[in-house]
Formats: sequence, structure tokens, C-alpha cells
Amino acid sequence: MPAAVASNWRDRRRQVFQSVFQTDIAQSTPQSTPGSLHSAPGLPFGGPAASLLGQTLRQQQLQQQHRGFSPGEHPFLQRTTPDSLFQTSAQPLFAPNKDQERYDRAWHVVTARIALPSSATADDSFGTLAADSQHQVSRKPHTDSGGIDSTFHEAFAALVNARSLLPGATRTDDILAWHVRQVRAHFAQHVIPLLNGCVGDDEGDAEESSDDEEVDASRWRARRKGNYYERHMVVVMSSIRTLEAALRLYFFGLNQLLSGFARLADTSPEAAKDTELLNARFRRDLHALVSNSASEGLKRAIKAVLIRLAGTILGISSPDEAVAGGEQRRPAAPGQHDLKVQASRERLIELVQQLHNVGLAGERFQVFFAEVMDVMMSDFVIGAYAGLWSAPDPRSFSTAMESVSLSTSLSGASPCTMSLNDWVENHFARLSFEVLACISPNSQGTLPVSLADLKTYQSLALGRLAALRIRELFDIVLAWPTSRPALDDLRATITTAARRKQLTDSLSRVLQTRLLHPGCSTLEILRTYISIIRTLHALDPSKVLLSHVEPGLQLYLCQREDAVRVVVTGLLANSEEIRAVRGAEDTPKQEGDGPRTTAPGRGKHYARALASSTSPTNPGPSTSLSQANNPLPKVDSAQTTLDRLGYHPTKLVELALILNNPSQTQPRRHRTSPATTTTTTTTATAAVANPDRDPDPELDWNDMSWLPDPIDAGANYRRPRSEDVIGTLISALGSEESFIKEFTAVVAERLLLPPTSSSSSSNSGTPLVAVKTDRAAGLEFEQELRVLRLLKRRFGEASLQGVDVMVRDVVESRRLDARIQLRRGGEAAAGVDGLGGVEYHAQILSRLFWPGLDREHFLLPEVVVEQQRVYEAGYERLKSRRKLTWLNQMGRARVELELGDRRVEVDCSTVEATVIYAFQPSEGGGSGGDEAEDAPPVVVVRKSVDELYAQLQMDEDLIAAALQFWASRGVLRRVAGAPNTYAVAETVDERNAAATSGATAAAAGVQSDSADQPKEEEELEPAAAAAAEAAAKPAVLAKDRERREIYWRYIQGMLTNASASMPLAQMAMMMKMLIADGFPWSNEELQDFLGEKVLEGEMEVSGGKYRLVKK
Amino acid sequence: MSFAEDSQISASGVQASKLSGARRGVEPGQNATKRLQTELMQLMTSPAPGVSAFPSADGNLLSWRATIEGPDDTPYSSLTFKLSFEFPSNYPYAPPTVLFRTPIYHPNVDFSGRICLDILKDKWTAAYNIQTVLLSLQSLLGEPNNASPLNGEAAELWDKDPTLFKTKVMDRHKDVEDD
Repeated sequence: MPAAVASNWRDRRRQVFQSVFQTDIAQSTPQSTPGSLHSAPGLPFGGPAASLLGQTLRQQQLQQQHRGFSPGEHPFLQRTTPDSLFQTSAQPLFAPNKDQERYDRAWHVVTARIALPSSATADDSFGTLAADSQHQVSRKPHTDSGGIDSTFHEAFAALVNARSLLPGATRTDDILAWHVRQVRAHFAQHVIPLLNGCVGDDEGDAEESSDDEEVDASRWRARRKGNYYERHMVVVMSSIRTLEAALRLYFFGLNQLLSGFARLADTSPEAAKDTELLNARFRRDLHALVSNSASEGLKRAIKAVLIRLAGTILGISSPDEAVAGGEQRRPAAPGQHDLKVQASRERLIELVQQLHNVGLAGERFQVFFAEVMDVMMSDFVIGAYAGLWSAPDPRSFSTAMESVSLSTSLSGASPCTMSLNDWVENHFARLSFEVLACISPNSQGTLPVSLADLKTYQSLALGRLAALRIRELFDIVLAWPTSRPALDDLRATITTAARRKQLTDSLSRVLQTRLLHPGCSTLEILRTYISIIRTLHALDPSKVLLSHVEPGLQLYLCQREDAVRVVVTGLLANSEEIRAVRGAEDTPKQEGDGPRTTAPGRGKHYARALASSTSPTNPGPSTSLSQANNPLPKVDSAQTTLDRLGYHPTKLVELALILNNPSQTQPRRHRTSPATTTTTTTTATAAVANPDRDPDPELDWNDMSWLPDPIDAGANYRRPRSEDVIGTLISALGSEESFIKEFTAVVAERLLLPPTSSSSSSNSGTPLVAVKTDRAAGLEFEQELRVLRLLKRRFGEASLQGVDVMVRDVVESRRLDARIQLRRGGEAAAGVDGLGGVEYHAQILSRLFWPGLDREHFLLPEVVVEQQRVYEAGYERLKSRRKLTWLNQMGRARVELELGDRRVEVDCSTVEATVIYAFQPSEGGGSGGDEAEDAPPVVVVRKSVDELYAQLQMDEDLIAAALQFWASRGVLRRVAGAPNTYAVAETVDERNAAATSGATAAAAGVQSDSADQPKEEEELEPAAAAAAEAAAKPAVLAKDRERREIYWRYIQGMLTNASASMPLAQMAMMMKMLIADGFPWSNEELQDFLGEKVLEGEMEVSGGKYRLVKK
Repeated sequence: MSFAEDSQISASGVQASKLSGARRGVEPGQNATKRLQTELMQLMTSPAPGVSAFPSADGNLLSWRATIEGPDDTPYSSLTFKLSFEFPSNYPYAPPTVLFRTPIYHPNVDFSGRICLDILKDKWTAAYNIQTVLLSLQSLLGEPNNASPLNGEAAELWDKDPTLFKTKVMDRHKDVEDD
């Protein structure tokens, strides 16, 4: 046995050392003892010969004891220490003392009896053997009370009552103290090395892993699998056995002494001592000795064993078991009759009792145990609930859902908290009780674990759960509707202001790292924001939590220039997009279970159903665990979910949905426009039942769910009425002005969009005008008007006056247009108007109220100009003192082209119409198209960009774009050989020829010459100069051109200064970061742009990096 | 850029922070980056001939790279000089640190590229901006301040031996690599 060898060797070394340096002077031994003791087993008493080398300190003690008695015999001992020298010189003076002699003899008798075996290092099982031998000895005095017994007791009595019996003995000592000293020395000399030996096998490799016990333990558990636990168990058990044997040995001596005391008590009570007290004191000292000398390895082993056993009992599987089982099992409260658990429990109790008996269950062990239990609780909470946001039991889950969605049980327990409380009560507290009952000194007194302790445990566990959920909160937000049960956990556990603060702080921090960085699009941020609003509102209807998290988000969103636009376009998402989302939502809704739909007032089932369709069941434990660990894939999956369900990824359609959802907007709208509520009869009941309808909910005495304001609410806190996603978003976007400005711009754009369905007004069509005016009743702008009403309520009427005017302009101009048309129609019937059936409509916009009305100069066809004049006259007749300014580029036109072999009807912009009109044969032009038939032109009209520029005074880019447009329609074709020159493709053949190859265009030209008289008639109906369509290309083009110019300068600056060559992504990143107004281009757009520049010879690409061409 | 314009910028900044209320603390350095963004926009919309500047490629808005073309009729004509700008976080209330990265032989520039120019030191005011600094530097190329030279030899040669000066300029000039 290596341990024994090691201990042996250590002894030798120490002895050699002591023989030279006399370190054991501190050893307090009786100053005088009878020296005739030679009967101790294996104690060859003699000089310090080589045979002594195997001996131990014990022997030295004996030598010292002997020294007083016969000083002259051992010269070696005479020169031990100054102290002993003094003693030896002093003693002969008192030597002829009879009493002293008797005392010494008695001392010898007693000590010989209780002397501990000196050493058994060569013996493998020192403890047991020694114990056995001692047992035999110890049994002897009790069984047969021979002569030894009586001599012992006499001697003992002499020793104890030395003062009265042997007054002459001056050098006396307390035999008990001697025994204690002896025990200490023995323990230090023999037991500790043995204990180290028990641990030693393990220590070598345990130490190399880590010094930190806990990490060490868990890592080892993982690495060494089951083996590890068994090894530790062996360490613990062998240590316990060793200690048990040693303690038996010590207590044997003590019992001898105590029995002496007991017997003495009969004769001379004054000398007797309280044996109980002595026993307890001895035991206490011994336990202190044992527990203080427990080695790190032993502690580690005990801890490992504890962890393993407690883990099994508490239902937390250790990794090695999990590996054996093939997959990770979530911790769960074990069943009542789990045999394995029962076995572990018995084993643990037994172990604890053993530890207690040998004195290893002292305070230190209790700290251990507390630590282990602490780890267990954390492990259980994290293992069982991380990423698992619904109760394991589906039935309780759905009932919880229902109760929560009715928002009646705000403080009620959630499934997770209930199961956790149950676990704490039935497993955690039970285990603590059992273990503590084993080791607590007064097991008959107060309970080791009281009810109050149980409550503390439970609140601790809930605290852990709260911390876990707080850490997960961002993921909970991302998985919003499915994660409702997790919110219930939070609501049940977040009970103190400190935890609320922790929650908001943690969420804010996570937001900074995971959401508010340039990698997230504004849309994503806003979408997450909506989820946050909803989550936190569900968590805390008072909105105080939200208000603590919001500032960071809002601050960041203010830096996102496109945030306002995203919100506005989202609000104004058109009905098709909404329908798309609705459609996606409806299907899963049908499969949604019953209880959920019983809460219409919440107005969130669309989202819930949406999510429930994606994950109808609880996510598998392993997957959700991995999601919790690496959250990024989760974001992706959420995104793909949205995409798959028809969410338009580029718009915040959710907002429009909310807006259209009556229950969401009910509390707001019933004030401003009660009429709208009647349109949604289905939810009217919900609205009535909604307590928000009450004039002042604060004074609603019947509100049973009323709660006081949260304590962390601000001074001016006002209870919000509803979730109010839209309102919160809008207020989060910073200043009203920017929002209103953006809203105005978007609405202007949309108001001027060409009406999709009935824009076709033909030259014959008077009835179509009627259709148009019908539509002017305002139905088509329902969405806009609704948003407008909402915003008016928020920002006040005055700030949105502009939008009001815009809407009125649109309606009014339709009415005016109708009247002017009527009058004109009358004139036309009277034959005054001979303008070839060109129909002309205009929209009249109030100049000051519309954003982005820029004039683009070009010459309209004469026919149109004539119409404008007529229209203007008509308008001025109706509205005196007002003047029309025509915005020629912002119009739409319907063009009918009669080509050689076909008729083409195209809706296009006024610019395009003007350009194609220029291709009309000159002899037919001017006054109109109706006389074109009389004079058939012979030549195909062809024009170059320059010619058109001279003729129309239009921007060249616009001309080029328009030509491109017509070429793509097959009306024009490029003339080969002449750059930037186009000709009319009169026949399909020509068009095909032009389309198939530009090289054969010459042949096509010949063909067209030979073609029969090309007849061309163009009828232009630029539906209005002032029909300002902000979406019309020219304005956009001008803006876009300007923007491209600026961007080009940025790129030049970047490549000149920052770095001579850069990859696309980096350039895009720089542009996004540096352009204060935001850089709306996607990487692809930028790539196209750079591609153009490369084609133009401004840039070159090499190795994926762009650089400027040096000139 | 005029001083009035500049004070307007800061005034609007104050206004904005007032508007946003107490709940938004203004981060230090935020103003500087905002201002630099604005300056960049101005540089791009109204560029001055012969000078250009841009934030460095690492995306740090407080560190810029600039280019000056040597003015005609000076020894530096047809040469291009790269400079680096490092802005303090309290810019524009403190001047940027400007260095020539291209080796240049000039009376007011030392061999490690440090520039002796009063507006970059004690004469700095918030009314200056990158463009004005660049233009000042460009004119410094043609009209060195020989009264306080960093490069004494250059200051001497400037008047005494323009041909030798020109040779030294050409010798010293060397296009720098990108970092």
C-alpha cells in the first residue's frame, strides 16, 4: 500500500530530523512518569538505535517520560533541550519522595492501560487491526474483572486524588489531559497520513485539473463519467472506516478513564467528575480535530458524493447518466416510488450518519451541504425551466393561458412556479430536513427545517427562476406569443422593486448588445419593439416596466432616420398586405383550441394563433435549450416564420393589423368617432364589456382586478388604458414634427397615386367621370383617414391640418373637375371645342400644404396646353381670384396609338406621353390627331434625344427614360447606326426585328420603308398638369439623380482618402454609417451603381475590391 | 463656413436636447460625431477643388484621412499629399490633430509630418472646419511661414535656391501606402 509506505517514510524522515534538531520540545508530556513501561506492543525500549528508525514520535514521548525517572541512563536524552536539562538537574533533589514514587507508579499503570498503539504503518489496515486488538483489551476489563482491573482502578484513584492521597508527590498531572494530548499526537502521527493515503490515490490526478473544487468536481464528473463518483465514494468510505477505527481506539482509552471516574464517584464524590460532560467534551474536541484536519481531497470527495446523491434524489440527472441514456434529460421531480431515488436517499442518510459519527459532519460539512443544495437548486431551476416556457402538463398550461388572457389572476401562480414550489417542498426541503436531522446536535428539539425555512427555500427558488427568466427575457420577447407562460413565471416571481429593476436593467443591457446595433434593420428593431411593448404590457399592465426599458430604445430609434417612415408605411399598409397576413393567420386560427378565443378583448389572438401554428406543441426540451444558449438562430427562425406566413418583410404590417383590429383601437376611437364602432358589430360586445369605456377607471369601484400603482412608478404616473402599441411606438419616435412631416409626405404620395381600378378614362367616356367622382366619397382612403383620426387624437387637430387640407383637396378637386367637365362637355356638344376628344382632368392642390411639389419644366403637346387653358378658364370661373400653376410632370396619361398593324393602349406618365407625342408625324401634329387619317405620312418618324431635347425642352435623362419605356413597349425601336435615335415601330415585324437584334435594325429600316402607309394617331390625355402625382417618375428621377451624385462624391471621397480599394460590403457599411440622412440603398443597389461606374470607366474592380481609376 | 452658421448648429443641438427632455442624456462625443457627419455632408455637397477628406476605413468617425493636391505655381504642383485628422471628442471646441502622412519637404512641416500652423494650435476656433483647415494647409504649401520654421533648411532654401528646394521636394515626396 503506497500510503503506508509514504507514511512510513515520512516518519523516518521526521525522526532523523528530530534526532538532530530536537523539534519536539514543544511536546508537552508529563514531566515525570514511571519509566518501566515496556509492554506497549512493538515498542522495543532502548537507546536510539537504528531499530528505532521505524518508530514514531510516540516513542520519543516515552523516552521523554522515562527521562525523569532515570536520567542517567540515557545520555542521548540528557542533552535534549535546555528545558529538559533543567529538569534533569532539578529532579534528584526531590527524588527520595515516596509519594512521588507511588504516584509515578500509578501513573504508569494507568497510562500503560490506555496507551495508544504507537504505529502500525507497515500494516495495511491499521485502523481495524488496532481497533480489534483494543477491543479485545477493552472487553476484558468489563467481562472478567481480574486483578488488572482492580490495580488499574487503584492506580487511577491514586492519580486522581493525588493531592489528598499522595501529598508528597509534587509532580502530578491530569491523566485526562494526557490522554487528550496522546490522542492528538496519535491522530497527527498516524491517522492523518492514513487519511491522506485514502485520498492520495485520487489526489494526483485531481489536482492537475483545477484548484477550484467546484469546477473541478463538475468537470471531473463530466470527464470521468460514473467512474468518478465511485472513486470518490471509495475515498469517502475508506476515510470513514479509518476514522471510525481511530475513534474507537481513542474512546476506548477515554472509557477506561471514565469508568475510573465512575467508580471513584462511589467512594469519593468530590473527586468524581461528570462523565457525561467529559465524554461530550472529548467528543467535541475530537470532532473538531477530525473536521479541521480533513484534507482537501477528502472534502472534494465528500462534495462529489453529496452532489451525486443529492442530484439523484432531487431528480437532477448527472451528466454521466445522461450520456449513458443517450440524450439530455431535463431535471424533473422524481416520482414517489422511484427505486433509484430511494436507494440514493438511504445511501445518503447512512453516509451522513457515518460522517456525523466520525466527526466529519461538523459546521464545515453543513457549509458543504448548503453549497451543494445551492448548486442543486440552481441546476434544477436552470435545467428544468431554461427555454421551457410552458408547463410540462398541457392541461394546466391551457388553463393557465386562459386565466392569464382574462387577466384575472395577475398574481396567480404560473405552472412553472407551481411545479417549482412543489419540488422545493417535496424534494428539496425534504432532503434538507433528513440530512440536517441526522447531523443536528439536538434532534429532539426544534425541527431542523421549519415551515419558515421552507418558505425561504421556495422564495429562493423563485428568485432563481426569476433570474433565469430575466436572463431569457429577450428571447421571450422574440418568441412573444408562445412565450406567454414564461411571462406568467415572471409575473409570479417578480414581486419586489429590486427584481423589477433587475429585470429592466437586464433587458436594457441585452437590447443594447443584441438589438440596437447597426446589424439590425430598423424594421427588425421596430418589430421587436412591438413585441417588447406587448410582452411587458402582458407582464405589467401598468406599463411602468416598459417605461424603464424604453429610453434606450427610443434614443436609438431616433438615430434611425428611416424609423418614422417604416412606422408610417406600416400604419398605411394597404389592404392586400393586410389580407395576406390575415390569410396566413386565419388558417391556424381555426386549429387554435377553444379557450383561447374566449378572450376577444385582448385582440392578440392573431399573433398568438400565428405563433401557435408554427409551434403548436411545446418546443422540445433539447431544442429550446439550445435556443436559449445561442439566441441568434432563434431570431432567424422567427424571421423565417414571419416570412413563411406571408408577412411582408419590408413593411410593418403588424401596425396596420392592430389599427384595423377594433379591439385594439376601441378605447381610443369611441371618443373621437363613435360611428366607426358600428362598422364592427362583432366586437361591439367586447367593447361594451371593456372597462376602458368607463369614463374614469380609477373610480370604478366594481373593478375587481384593480391593483394599486406599482411602487416604482413615477410621480406623474398615469395608468394607461390599453396596450396601445401604436401610440407607444409613435411617442417613441421622438419629436412629433418629424413624424407628422413623414406622415404628410407618405399620405401625399398615396393620395396622388393613380386610382388603380377606374383610371381608364377614354376619349369617349363621360360615364367614367361619374365613376371617379363616386370614388371621391372617400372610401378609398379609409386606411389613411383612420390613421389620420388616430394621429389627430394624439397630436391634436392643428398639427395635422395639412393632411386634412390634402384630403379635402383631393375630394374637392374631383368635385370641381366634374363641374368643369360638365361645362366643357356642354361646350363640346355645342361644337365650340374641337380638340380631338382629348379628355382632360386635373387635381387641384393647395400649394402650401403639399410636400414635395417641384416643377419640372418641359413643353407639353399643344393639344394638352390648349386643354390646360380651357381648364384654367373653367376653374377661374368657378373660383375667382385663384390661379392654377401646372405641374406638368406629375400626371398620368392614357395613350392610344394606332400603328401600322395594331393599336396600342398604354397608361403612362405625362412625360412619356409627351415624348411619344413628339413622334407623331409633323403634318398631322399641332392641332390634334383627328385629321391624321387624311394625310397619311409616308416616312417613319425617327428622332434623336438631342432633337427631342430641342423640341420638348425636357431633361435629357427624362427623355432617355421615356424612350426606354416606349422601346420596352415595342412602340419605338432603336435605330441602328445612329446613337440615341429612335424610330416608331409601325409593325410587329419591325418590333420583333428590333427586339431580336439591334444589328438587323438596318434591314428593319428598309422593311419599314417598304411597309404600307404607316398610319399613326396619338391621343394624349395627360390627366392633368396639377394632377400632381408625387410618385410620378420625373420628380423621383430628379431627386434620385441628385442623390446618386452625392453618393458618388462620397464614394470618391472614401476611395481617395479612407482606403484606395474597398470591398462592397465595407463601402455600404461606411455609407450607412456616415450619411446623416441614412443610406437607403441595399448592397445590391450599391453594387448596381458601382457596376455602372465601372462601365463608365470611373472605377475598376480587382479581387472583389473597388478602386477609382487613376487619371 | 461662417461663425454664425456654426453657432446655429450648436443652438439647434441645445434645442434638440431640450426637446428630448431629461430622459435622454447626451453622450459625450455624440456632438462631435454629429458635427463631423454634417461636415462630411457639406464636403460632399460643396467640395472644394484640390482637397478632399473622408473618415478612415475603420469606421471611426473621429479619425479622418484627407488629400491635398499641391497647388499650381508652387514647388508642390502635381503632387498629392495625404493627411490624417484625429478629432478630439470635444471637437469642434478643440482643434483636430493634423499630420502629413505623405513625407513632405516644407518649412513648416517636420519630418514626422507635424505641422506648424497657428489655426491648428492656439488660433483654433469652432468656426473652422475640415474644409477650411485643408484650404489653409493648401495655401500654406504655396506661402510658407518662414518666420517660424520647423524645417530650417527648407525655410532657407525657399528664398535662396528655389530649384534646389524643388529637387528636395521631389526627393522627399513618396506616395504612402494605405494603412
